[in-house]
Amino acid sequence: MLKRALAIITLLIIGYWLAQGLAGVPFGEDKMVVGKYYLEHVKEDTGAVNAVTAIVVNYRGFDTLGEVTVLFIASTGVGALLWRKKKKRTAKTEGSLVLTTGAELLFPFVVLFGTYIFIHGHLTPGGGFPGGATIATAFLLLYMAFVTYEIPHRAFEKTEGLAGIGYVLVGLIGLAIGGYFLYDWIWQTWGWGHDNIGRLFSGGFIPIIYTLIGIKVGTELSGIIDNMLKEGVSE
Amino acid sequence: MNVLAAVGEILVLIGTFFYFLSALGLIRMPDVYNRMQTSTKSATLGSLGVMVGVGLWALGSDFGSVAWFTKTIVIAVFLLLTNPISAHALIRAAYKSGIPLWEGSVVDKYAEHLMSKTEKSEIVEKEGDAE
Repeated sequence: MLKRALAIITLLIIGYWLAQGLAGVPFGEDKMVVGKYYLEHVKEDTGAVNAVTAIVVNYRGFDTLGEVTVLFIASTGVGALLWRKKKKRTAKTEGSLVLTTGAELLFPFVVLFGTYIFIHGHLTPGGGFPGGATIATAFLLLYMAFVTYEIPHRAFEKTEGLAGIGYVLVGLIGLAIGGYFLYDWIWQTWGWGHDNIGRLFSGGFIPIIYTLIGIKVGTELSGIIDNMLKEGVSE
Repeated sequence: MNVLAAVGEILVLIGTFFYFLSALGLIRMPDVYNRMQTSTKSATLGSLGVMVGVGLWALGSDFGSVAWFTKTIVIAVFLLLTNPISAHALIRAAYKSGIPLWEGSVVDKYAEHLMSKTEKSEIVEKEGDAE
C-alpha cells in the first residue's frame, strides 16, 4: 500500500514536471526552422512526394542504417539467447479447419500488401519498416494456424544479410560517385525520374532502399518469431 | 449534393447505427458467446456500411475520386473475409479454455461431440493394449 502510494506520488510529480516543461513549447505555431526547408525542397532534392520517407532515407539516411542495425542485433540476440541444438514447435492443439484454410488463403494477400507498402514508400504513408512488419505478420499467421510450420531458414537468413549488405552497398556507391555516404546518385547524378515525380519510377534511391529494408525487416521479424515459438526438445 | 453522396451518407448512418448496436450488445448480453455473436456480426456489417458509404460519398462529392471507392471496396472485402475467421478463432479458443455457457443455454452438442470423441479414442487405446 505504502509502496503504491509512493509510486503514484512520484509519478504525479514527474508528470507535473513534464507538463511544466511542455507548457513552453509552441505547438501548432509556425516555428519550423529545419522543417520548413524539408517541406519546401523535398521534391527537387529527392523526387519523393512523401516527405517523411525522404527525410528518413535521404536527408538522414544514417539514422535508418542505425535502426536496421538495431533490428539485426535484436534478431541475432534473440537467436543467441534461445539457441539450442534441437528445437521444435510445441503447439499441442490443432487449429480448426476454418482457421487453417483462412490463414492459407490470406497469406499471399498479406504478403502482397506488405510488398505494396514498401515499394510505394516514396508515394504513400509507410515504407520499409511497416511493409516488413506486415510480411512478418503473414508468416506469424502461418505459424499460429499450423501445428508444424517452418520458415525456410537457410534462404531467409541469407536474404536478410544480403538485403542489409545491399543497403550499405547503395550508400557506398553514393560515396564513390557523390563524395559522401548515402549520396542519392540515382537522383542527383543520373537525374533519373526527374519528369515523373509522384509516379512509381521516381524518388531517386528511396524505393530501392525501402525494398531492401522491407525484405530485411520482414525476414528478420519472421526469424525472431520462429526463434521465440520454439522450445528445446530433450532427446 | 447529388444522389451518390446522399446514398453514401445514408449508408454511413446505417453503419454507425449498427456499430452502436454492437457496442450495446457487448454490454447487454449475458455470456461470452452471445456477446461475440452480437458484436462481430453487427460490427462487420456496420463497417461494411460505413466503408462502402464513404466510397460512394467520395464518388458523388466534388473533391473525391474513384480511387477512394476502390480503396474502400478493397478494405471492405478484406474485413468481410477476415472478421468471421477471427471471431471463429476467438470463440473456439474461449470454449476450449473452459468458459461456461450461459446458464439459460439448453443444448451443448459440441461438448457431447467432444465426449464421444474422447470415449472412442479411449476404447481404441484399450484395444491396442489388449493386443
